[in-house]
Amino acid sequence: MPQATVMMDAAHAVVYSALDGTGRAERVTQRLTDAIVSGTLEDGERLPSESDLAARLGVAVVTAREALETLRAQGLLVTRRGRAGGSYVRFDPDAAEAITRSRVDALSRLELRDLAVHYAAIAGMAAEVAADRAGEDDLQTLTDIDARADLSDSGAARRAVGRFQLQVAATSQSLRLVHVELQLQAEVGPVLWLCLREEEYRVRSHRARLRVIDALRDLDPAAARSATTSLIDEAAEWLVAEKTAIERAKGQAS
Amino acid sequence: MIRTITDTASAAAHLVETFTPLIDLVELWRRDLELFFEGASEVDSAQIDAHMQRLAVPRVTADGTAIVGAGFVATPGRLADAQWHLAWWLSPPAPGTSARRLATSANPDSESFRDYTALEWWRVPVQTGRRHLTGPYIDFLCTDDYTITVTAPVRDGDTAGVTGIDLDVARLERLLLPALLQSDASLTLVNASARTVLSTDPRTPTGAILRVDGLSDALAAAARSGCTSLSDRGAVVACGDTGLFLVQRR
Repeated sequence: MPQATVMMDAAHAVVYSALDGTGRAERVTQRLTDAIVSGTLEDGERLPSESDLAARLGVAVVTAREALETLRAQGLLVTRRGRAGGSYVRFDPDAAEAITRSRVDALSRLELRDLAVHYAAIAGMAAEVAADRAGEDDLQTLTDIDARADLSDSGAARRAVGRFQLQVAATSQSLRLVHVELQLQAEVGPVLWLCLREEEYRVRSHRARLRVIDALRDLDPAAARSATTSLIDEAAEWLVAEKTAIERAKGQAS
Repeated sequence: MIRTITDTASAAAHLVETFTPLIDLVELWRRDLELFFEGASEVDSAQIDAHMQRLAVPRVTADGTAIVGAGFVATPGRLADAQWHLAWWLSPPAPGTSARRLATSANPDSESFRDYTALEWWRVPVQTGRRHLTGPYIDFLCTDDYTITVTAPVRDGDTAGVTGIDLDVARLERLLLPALLQSDASLTLVNASARTVLSTDPRTPTGAILRVDGLSDALAAAARSGCTSLSDRGAVVACGDTGLFLVQRR
């Protein structure tokens, strides 16, 4: 009988694995912190109301309120009263840098690589399927997204990567891939695309987009996949190198 | 072979029959809105919202309907008080809830702002002056579903905007499949760009672009003459003026 328990198949193991220990409010806080620090949400952007936010994230209003309180206390949000009242994003580069460092520090190398593998599985497959399904309008939309990407700004470059990947997923015509892409962008994106703070990687992301567009136009699924996953691999390598640098600096300081 | 073509034509006729009430609705709204704009010297967003809400909400909340979105999108600058305006309603997210108004970012300075006049469902009907069928496509900005959008221009001397409906492709499949199953031949329903809406051929998934030699020419010919042969024992039949075509292959 104990053996039968051990012999559970992989699918059941996934279903019954321990749930993430953090509470809902902490997860909402993490999601929004990531979005603000990575520049997915712009400086000065207005957040939805507490009730709208709660409805979108599928949490209770008190949970959303608690998360917003935490973000206000951290200085990532400011509250304005009156007609245009609400919560507004406040981006402070120094605070963002500190938060990012501790986020990268908290993840093991194994976890960082695993994030990248998971994301590459989804984004790579989306690109592969899109190569068979892209129409002229899709190619035009993707070209426009790339053309509008401001490579001089890391937040804008980050948003361009997100928009492009989402549009590729939509071009695959798979609603499920779009939903997973959205979910992963929220969870993995802010960490994975940290390399975009360096101009070299912003240029690489632009070149990768051009390669994907060419591959879609040429109906070349393998090229579309490899252009997509190579960029993700490079981002993961940058991340591990950055983590090592942080750890070395800490070691020397202590 | 003659028999198969007759079957395909009969399947096309059934598809037209199923689609006609949906298209008639868009045409009805187009005329209604043209009168609305002609009758008023100035229209503001609250007026068009109230008017369109009365038309759209009963349609997106009707039981079993394939309509998941409906409304009016104004030509930039046409309304007295809003440069950009969408009066668009979406079907209830769950049974027992009410229709949702589409939330939009109307700040053109924001990077996330998208100029809707560049999108196919706006661009084509405004340029051609005729009703247009866009999709199927994943509409992650609006319905969050696999969608077909039918839009028609609203004329008031110039163009006041476009009106139309979003159709859920999964629900359309249930409505349209019986027509396709009438024929023993392999039938694929495509849009004018050869993108598959529905097929009885297991190798042709919905959303895939049908790649058959000479198909784009055949689609253009069928749009003009209603029916044309396709190389190697195939045929293309237009489904009336719905913007959809049946491709029959052996």
